[in-house]
Amino acid sequence: MFNYGPLAVVALLGAAGASSALASDTPTTDTAETEATRQIDLEVAEKIFRKSCRACHGNKAQGAASYPSLSDKDPAYITERLERYRAGEKIGPNSILMIQHAKKLSDDDIASLSVYVTTAFE
Amino acid sequence: MLHSRFSEPLPLAASLLVGAALFGAPTLAQSGMNTTNLQSEVVLDGLDNPWDMAFLDDGTMLFTEKCSGLSVRMPDGTVNKLYGVGAKEGYPANGEDLFCEGQAGMMGVAFDPGFADNRRIYVYSTSNMSDPHTNRLMRFTVNEDFTAVADRTDIIDDVPYKMAASNHPFGGPGAHNGGRVRFGPDGALWLTTGDTHNGQVPQSPTMMGSKVIRVDTDGAAHPENAPPEGFDKRTYTFGHRNIQGIAFHPDTGAAITAEHGPWHSDEITILKNGGNAGWDPRPNMAGREDCPDDYCGYSPNQEGGMNRYERAAFMPMTDFDTYPDAMPPVWNNNGWSQGTSSAAFLQGDAWGDWNGAMVVGIMGIGFGGTPIGQRIDVIHFNEDVTDVEDVTEMTLPMETGRFRSVVMGPDGSLYTSIDEGTIYKLTPGN
Repeated sequence: MFNYGPLAVVALLGAAGASSALASDTPTTDTAETEATRQIDLEVAEKIFRKSCRACHGNKAQGAASYPSLSDKDPAYITERLERYRAGEKIGPNSILMIQHAKKLSDDDIASLSVYVTTAFE
Repeated sequence: MLHSRFSEPLPLAASLLVGAALFGAPTLAQSGMNTTNLQSEVVLDGLDNPWDMAFLDDGTMLFTEKCSGLSVRMPDGTVNKLYGVGAKEGYPANGEDLFCEGQAGMMGVAFDPGFADNRRIYVYSTSNMSDPHTNRLMRFTVNEDFTAVADRTDIIDDVPYKMAASNHPFGGPGAHNGGRVRFGPDGALWLTTGDTHNGQVPQSPTMMGSKVIRVDTDGAAHPENAPPEGFDKRTYTFGHRNIQGIAFHPDTGAAITAEHGPWHSDEITILKNGGNAGWDPRPNMAGREDCPDDYCGYSPNQEGGMNRYERAAFMPMTDFDTYPDAMPPVWNNNGWSQGTSSAAFLQGDAWGDWNGAMVVGIMGIGFGGTPIGQRIDVIHFNEDVTDVEDVTEMTLPMETGRFRSVVMGPDGSLYTSIDEGTIYKLTPGN
């Protein structure tokens, strides 16, 4: 298990998030504190990836068929999309698939996956 | 893992128990040769969704990349780009009308059996030349040094294309184009097509989606096609969903399709000239009422997982109640839909007991409790080639992927492409 400290989590999630839709809203102190306490577990993320993501998005999250690449995105972008899918929002033609997978994810799962898919295959 | 040949619908509780037992069990002994001695080799990597391949006897390999175009790999390993999709850079010529969207783009490819004399090849791709757009089967000639194609002739220009998004899973434009192009042992050119998420297409006598098309190399109907009266004479079979696999039995010559099911029931079907595959996703048919955007293909409950046999009862892949004479599938993937795509027959003594068996590439999809299932299955037919006798999963010597295409090479190896961008060569023996 890879437990990043709060600073690392904030850095990874926020590193490239300045231009993302999520980051366009200035986070409150509470939000920042919540993000800072997320536990990044890359082993858990890998299991989720292999079970729920890999078959469509490719073995290296490079994208395949009509499923987009994840590895070239920012962690903040992945987090934002997963949170919106988890909330049941439809974004694009494969939303039904994504909503089903995302609704099972915890905040920690989303944080871990966001780091994993954007860093594991570099 | 052994798969039963065919599964009848079971009550919910029973089917869940059976499913748990099947997928919780350790790997069972495999019939025939020990597949662990398969060797794999990366032939090409870093491709853009490689969709199909075709070979000459010397190993020259045409291959398509869905959003990029047509290329050829020469026997010495050199790759020459030949014909690009749209404005894709790096190709000596482009089809400005060709484009990719969702599942659509450049798909199947075949060499003419008389290539040595006529230099002809055939490529299936999505095109915006017509409005609404269509999928087209194009014929080209290739120059002597395999560096350019010329003489494009669209011998089929009217296979439907899905123009707009709809309220369905995978509901974007470009869905369900079929796409495999093969020459049969009869010398005819065969093309498989899909339903484009349009409920009217599969049983339509004139819309050329959801069909197996058999034509000559000018696109004219084969004179022995026997579709029902009023059908387009290019039709060999109809009522399909989205066929991406077709292969011909090496002994009988029978055309056999592998087809992607609607969240249940991938199917292998031994085709009958003029036959109906029994897919009819129209609303207000067979006890169904209205469905999202007039297409019942994912109903009921298209937004969540549910028992696959309940799905099959509501929206059967082969509807025998409505079409009692429909062609019966000989395999239904234990009732699962896992992205069944291409098909080919293994040939050569090196394959041992698998020599003459059919292989099917399965791309995998994990949704609503369906096991992902990325694999290549080996399908053994009975002696009369009327039924499936046994199914064995290949033990692959490399990581699995979305197995879009399986093609026998002239060297006796099986070549397979995965959407992730790799073409592998699988060779039996040490």
